[in-house]
Amino acid sequence: MAFHKINVTINDELEQVVVPSNMTLMAMLRESLAMTGTKNGCSAGECGACTVLLNGEPVNSCMVLAVECDGANIVTVEGLAEEKQLSPIQQAIIHEGGVQCGFCTPGILISSHALLKRNPNPSENEIREALVGNLCRCTGYVRIIESVKEAAKIQSAAT
Amino acid sequence: MARIDTQNVPSPIGENAPRIDAREKVTGAAIFADDIQFGNSLLHARIKRSPHPHAFIKKIDVTKARALPGVKAVVTGQDFPGYIGLYLKDRHIFCRDHVRYVGDPVVGVAAVSEEIAEKALDLIEVEYEVLEPVLDPEFGANPKAPVLHPDLGQYSVANFIFPQPGTNISNHFKIRKGDVDSVWGKCAAIVERKYRIPHIQHVPIEPHIAIAKADESGEITLWGSSQSPFAQRNLIAQALGISQSKMRVIAPFVGGGFGCKAGVSMEALAVAIATKVKGHPVKLLLTREEEFFTAFVRQGLVSYIKMGCDEKGQLLAMENTFYWDGGAYTEYGVNITRASGYSSSGPYEVPNVKTDSYCIYTNHPVGGAMRGFGMPEIHAGLEQCIDELALQIGMDAVEFRKLNCLKTGSTLVTGSKMHATGLSTCIEKTAEAIGWGKKSPASGPNKRRGKGLALMWKAPAMPPNAGSSAWVELAEDGTVNVGVGGQEIGQGVFTVAAQMAAGALGVPYESVRIATPVDTRYSPYEWQTVASRLTWSMGNAVVNAAKDAKRQILDTVAEAWEESPEDLDIVNGMVISYKSEKEMPLKNLVIYGLPKPGGQGWVGGPVVGRGNFMPTYVTGLDAETGQGERAVVHYTTGAQAVELEVDLDTGRIEILKGVSTFDVGKAINPELVKAQMEGGFVQGMSSALFESLQLKDGVVKNPSFVDYRIATSADTPRDLEAYIVEVAQDDGPWGARGIGEHSMVPTIPAIANAIYDAVGIRFDGPPFTAEKVYLAMLDAGIVK
Amino acid sequence: MTINTHPALPEFEYVQPTTLAETSEFLVSHPGEARPFLGGTDVFVRMRDGFLTPKFLVDVKNLNGTNNLSFDPQSGLTLGAAVNMNRVIASPEVQVHYPLLAEACRSVASYQLRTRATVVGNICNASPAGDTIGACLALDGTLQIHGTDGLRQESLSSFFLGPGKTTLKPGDIVTAIHFPLPPQKCSGTYLKLGRNQLSDLSIVGVTALGHPDSSCESGYRFRLALASVAPVPFVPVEAETYLANHSITPESLREAAYLSANACSPIDDVRGSARYRKEMVRNLSAKALTEVWKNLN
Repeated sequence: MAFHKINVTINDELEQVVVPSNMTLMAMLRESLAMTGTKNGCSAGECGACTVLLNGEPVNSCMVLAVECDGANIVTVEGLAEEKQLSPIQQAIIHEGGVQCGFCTPGILISSHALLKRNPNPSENEIREALVGNLCRCTGYVRIIESVKEAAKIQSAAT
Repeated sequence: MARIDTQNVPSPIGENAPRIDAREKVTGAAIFADDIQFGNSLLHARIKRSPHPHAFIKKIDVTKARALPGVKAVVTGQDFPGYIGLYLKDRHIFCRDHVRYVGDPVVGVAAVSEEIAEKALDLIEVEYEVLEPVLDPEFGANPKAPVLHPDLGQYSVANFIFPQPGTNISNHFKIRKGDVDSVWGKCAAIVERKYRIPHIQHVPIEPHIAIAKADESGEITLWGSSQSPFAQRNLIAQALGISQSKMRVIAPFVGGGFGCKAGVSMEALAVAIATKVKGHPVKLLLTREEEFFTAFVRQGLVSYIKMGCDEKGQLLAMENTFYWDGGAYTEYGVNITRASGYSSSGPYEVPNVKTDSYCIYTNHPVGGAMRGFGMPEIHAGLEQCIDELALQIGMDAVEFRKLNCLKTGSTLVTGSKMHATGLSTCIEKTAEAIGWGKKSPASGPNKRRGKGLALMWKAPAMPPNAGSSAWVELAEDGTVNVGVGGQEIGQGVFTVAAQMAAGALGVPYESVRIATPVDTRYSPYEWQTVASRLTWSMGNAVVNAAKDAKRQILDTVAEAWEESPEDLDIVNGMVISYKSEKEMPLKNLVIYGLPKPGGQGWVGGPVVGRGNFMPTYVTGLDAETGQGERAVVHYTTGAQAVELEVDLDTGRIEILKGVSTFDVGKAINPELVKAQMEGGFVQGMSSALFESLQLKDGVVKNPSFVDYRIATSADTPRDLEAYIVEVAQDDGPWGARGIGEHSMVPTIPAIANAIYDAVGIRFDGPPFTAEKVYLAMLDAGIVK
Repeated sequence: MTINTHPALPEFEYVQPTTLAETSEFLVSHPGEARPFLGGTDVFVRMRDGFLTPKFLVDVKNLNGTNNLSFDPQSGLTLGAAVNMNRVIASPEVQVHYPLLAEACRSVASYQLRTRATVVGNICNASPAGDTIGACLALDGTLQIHGTDGLRQESLSSFFLGPGKTTLKPGDIVTAIHFPLPPQKCSGTYLKLGRNQLSDLSIVGVTALGHPDSSCESGYRFRLALASVAPVPFVPVEAETYLANHSITPESLREAAYLSANACSPIDDVRGSARYRKEMVRNLSAKALTEVWKNLN
C-alpha cells in the first residue's frame, strides 16, 4: 500500500505528514500528530465526536481520508482558543454548564463554532438541526443549546 | 487590629462553583485513556469472539495467526484458569471450554498494529459444537432448560447472594412481608400485569478502552476508562492469583460510564494479553459495534406485577415476580436482582408484599450495572400499575400517590423505617410544575396531548462495608491538594469534592486541586464510582480528611501562639484567633511548621490530613423474608412528569415538557445537581422512545448508531425543568445524598402514563416507538 | 454471526486521476478492483463493515466540471457530481427554482455528513432509502455520464435496477446531474419519516411535486416518489395517472395516497415492519399531496 506525503495546514500551522492511503483524517490527527483533542466515538460518521473543520466546514474526520487533505486547511478544538482567550463558544459552554464527561465536547464546539460563523444569530431550531450529528449522552443537550445562544450574544457584543 | 469579618465569607457549599475540569475539556487538553502516549513499544490487541450464543469449544488452532509477521502474542483461556467476578465469580477472563454468548472472548492477539492484530483474527480457526441456547429468562428458569453453569455450586459468592446450583438461577431474592394471600379478597381494586423490558446499552460516547503493561518483576499497570480502579485492581489480581499490590490501575477522565465501566469487563483481556509480552503496553479499544454488546449491557426483565388497594385507595398488597435476563455471566447482575427485590414496593408503604426476584442465566450479552441498577426496569411496570389502580378506584393519580407514598417514619418493604424524606414535596412540586389537572389543547387536529407522572426511590446498592477514603495536603503557596479514589465520569464529583474540601477546611474553592488521575498506587481507596454514592460517601471521607488537616493546623498554631485550638479557626485560607484577633495565611506553616514560642525549636511540619468513611450500621436481610433492620444506607426519592403529544398520522411521540424534582438532602452544587436531572431525564426518555438491543437467536441485530437510535439535540424537550428539594440526610456531608442515577428511573412510566392520558393505550414494555404506538392505535380503532 | 466490522479501513490504493478519460480508462482496466468515490460516506462505511474490498479507491471529486453548480435561465440547473449537499442547500438558485431539492438534501443525516455527501453519490449508491432520489426523479433529472465511449446522457427514470444496482457499466462515472427548468408554478415537498426527529435514514420517504398542466384532465400533473418501500426508489405510476385524470379534491388526493400505498412492496426489517411502512406511505402521501395542493392554490 502506497504512502503519500501531504502538506496540510492545521490550526494555522503547516504540517508535512506521510500517510498511508487508508488512514483517515481522524487517525492522522490522533496518531501521526498526537493531536488527541479530536475524539474517536464510532469511526462510522454517526456520533460526531471526531468533528473538525475542513476548509471551514464541519466534517466527521473519520469519514475523510488523510490523503484527501493535501493542501487543505483544518481546524480542530485545539485551535479554537486565541492565545490566552477562549472562543465565545468555549466560554459559553463552561458558563452554561454544557460540559459533563467532555468526550463529545470537542465535536460540539467545532459544530457550534461553524454554525455561529455562517449564522451569527441562530434560532433554537437552527441550533438543534446544526448539532444533530453530535451525540451527547450526559447533558441531555439543553445546556449545550443554551451555550450556543449565549455564545451568539458574546460574539455579537465583541463585534 | 481590625476585627476579622467571618460573617460574610461565602461558603462554597451550595454554590454553583464552575467545574474544576471544564477548561481542559473545552480546549481538548483533557486526557482520556486513548489519548495517553505510549511510544513505540505499544502493541495493539484484538479479540476473536464467539459467533454462537452457546457452544462447546472443541479445538482452537492459532498456528497461522502466531506466524503472521507483527503478531507478538496469541492467548487463550488455557493460559488463564482463574475465575473473576464482583459478587459471584462465574467467568474466566477468556473462555476455557464453553462460550455462552455471541461476543464471548475466545482468543486474544497482540500485534505491532491494530491492523495486523485484526488480520490475525481471520487466521485463527476455532471449532465449536453448537449447543441449545437459552434465549428467554422464563425458559431459563424452567427445569427443562439446558444448565448453562453446571459448576454454579462451586463458584465463590458473596454471602448475601443465593444461587441455586443445578439450575440457571444465580440469585433468588425473596420478600415475604405480611400475608398477601389473605388480603386480595379485601381489595376494592386489583391490577395484574406482565411487562417485558428489553435489553438496552449505556452507549457512552467513549467506548471501553484498556491498556495494560506487565513488567519483568511481575508488576502490572492498567490504564483504562474506569469507574472502578480499586475494584479492578482487586478482582483482576484475584483472578490472576497475584497480590493486589502488584496490580496498579491508573484511571484518567471517563468519557461516559453510566455503569458500564464499573466492575471488570474487557480490561481483564488486556491484562491477560499483556502478561505474555512483558515490557510492552498492550492497548485494547472496543469498536462501537463491540461496545453495544461485548462488555456490559442492561439486562432484560420479564416482570409480573400484581397490586391491590382498598376503597379509600390505600395500598394493601403487592405481589411481584421478576425474571431477570441476566445474560451469560451474572457476576454483577445478581445484585441487581437483590436491589430490585428489596425495592420492589416502589416508594410506597405497603403492609403485605411478596416478591420473588430471580437472576437467570441466558445466552445473551452480559448484564451489568446501568444507571438505576434495576430501578428503571421495575418502576417501568410498577408506576403504570399505580396509575391503573388509581383509575380503577376513581382517584386522581397524583392524589393516590400522595396518599400512599413514603413519609418520614413509614415502614418499608424490608421492615425498616423510612428516614426523613421530602418525597411528598417532590410530588407536589412536580405536579404543580407540569400543570397537573389542567388540560392544554393539542397543537393540531392530528395530535393528542397527555400528561403523566411517576415516582421513584433508590438506595445505593453495594456491600454493607463499601468504604471511601481521602487525603488532604497543602503546598507552599497554600493551595490544597485533595486525593480521592472516586472517578470523574462527567457527574462533577471532582468539583464537589473540591467544594467540600474547601468548605470543611476553610479555604477558597479556587485554591483546591484534586490529585488526578486516580492511581491506585497513590490515590486513597474508593470502593467504586457507582450507586450515586460519591457525594455522600467520598464526600464524608473528604470532609474527615479536611477536618483532620484543619486539626493539625490549629494544633500547630495554638502551640505557636500559646492559645487554645478552640479559639482558632481557618477562614478564607487564613488561620485566625477569635480571642487575640491574630491572623496568619495558611501557606506560612503548612510545610515548614512554626517556630516555638521563644524561638526554642519548631512545631508542626508538613500537613497531611486523612479521613475515611464506611457505613457501620447496615444489617443483612433475612434470606427467607427479605426483612432486616437497616438493609441500605439511605434512599433518594423523587418524581418526574411529562407532557407529550402523540401524532395520529405516524405514532411519533413528542415530549413537550419534562419536570424532575428530587430530594437530594443538600445540593452541594445546585447547577450540577440540575444537570444530572436533565441528563438523566433525556437518557430515560431515549430509553422510553427509541432504545432496545434487538436480540434474535442470541444475536444483537442493531449494534450501531444507525439502528440503535439515541436521543439527539433534535429530540430533547423544549422545556425541561429541574427542582431541588432538600431534606437533610443525617449522615451526609451537609446533609447530602446522591442524584446521579435517580433521574433516569421514573421516565419510562411517566411517559407511558402520559401516552395513556393522550390516547388510552398501554404497552407491555418500552420502547414506545412510533411504529408500536401507531399500530396499537390502528388495532384499537383510534386511527384508521 | 461474527462481527464483520473492523476498527479501521482495509488496505487499498488511493488513486486521483486528473481527467475523465484517464478515470474511465483506469476503471475499465481494473474490473472489479477499482471503485470511484465522492464523499465516501457510503463507501467507507461499507468497507469498514467488510462488504466492499476494493483494491483501488478512485477519487473523482476533482475532475473537469464536477465541482460546478450552475443555473442557466434557459436550460436549467447542472449539479456537478462533487458538489456537496450543504452547497446545494445554500445555493440561492436552488432555493428559488428547485426548493424541493434543497429540502430533500436538508433531510439527510447531519451537517457534517452533508459537507461530504453529494446528490450524485446518493444516486449512484442506489439505495431505495436515498433521500434525494425522489426529488431528482420528480424534477426529471438526467445523468451526465462519462464512459469509455465518451460522454452520454441517461434519464434517471430507468437508472435503478435493484438495491445498489444501476445501469452504469465498467468505466462509467457520473459527472453531473442536470435538471430542466421546473414547470411553471410548481410546488413540492419531501416528507421523511425517521425513528427519531432528525438524522435517521428514511423508514418511509414521500416526495410529491405538483404543477398546473393543461394537458391533464384534472388540470394538474403530480409527480410522486417513495423511498424505502421497494427494491428501488419507487414511482407509484397508477397514483400519478389517477391524479392526472380526476379532479383534485380531498377525496381524490386520499385515493391517490391509497393507490401509492397499495402499489409499493415494503419489507420487514430491523428498522420497521412492512405493515407500518404501508400505513405510513398512505398517511404521508396524503399529507404531502394535501400540502402541495394547498400551495398550488
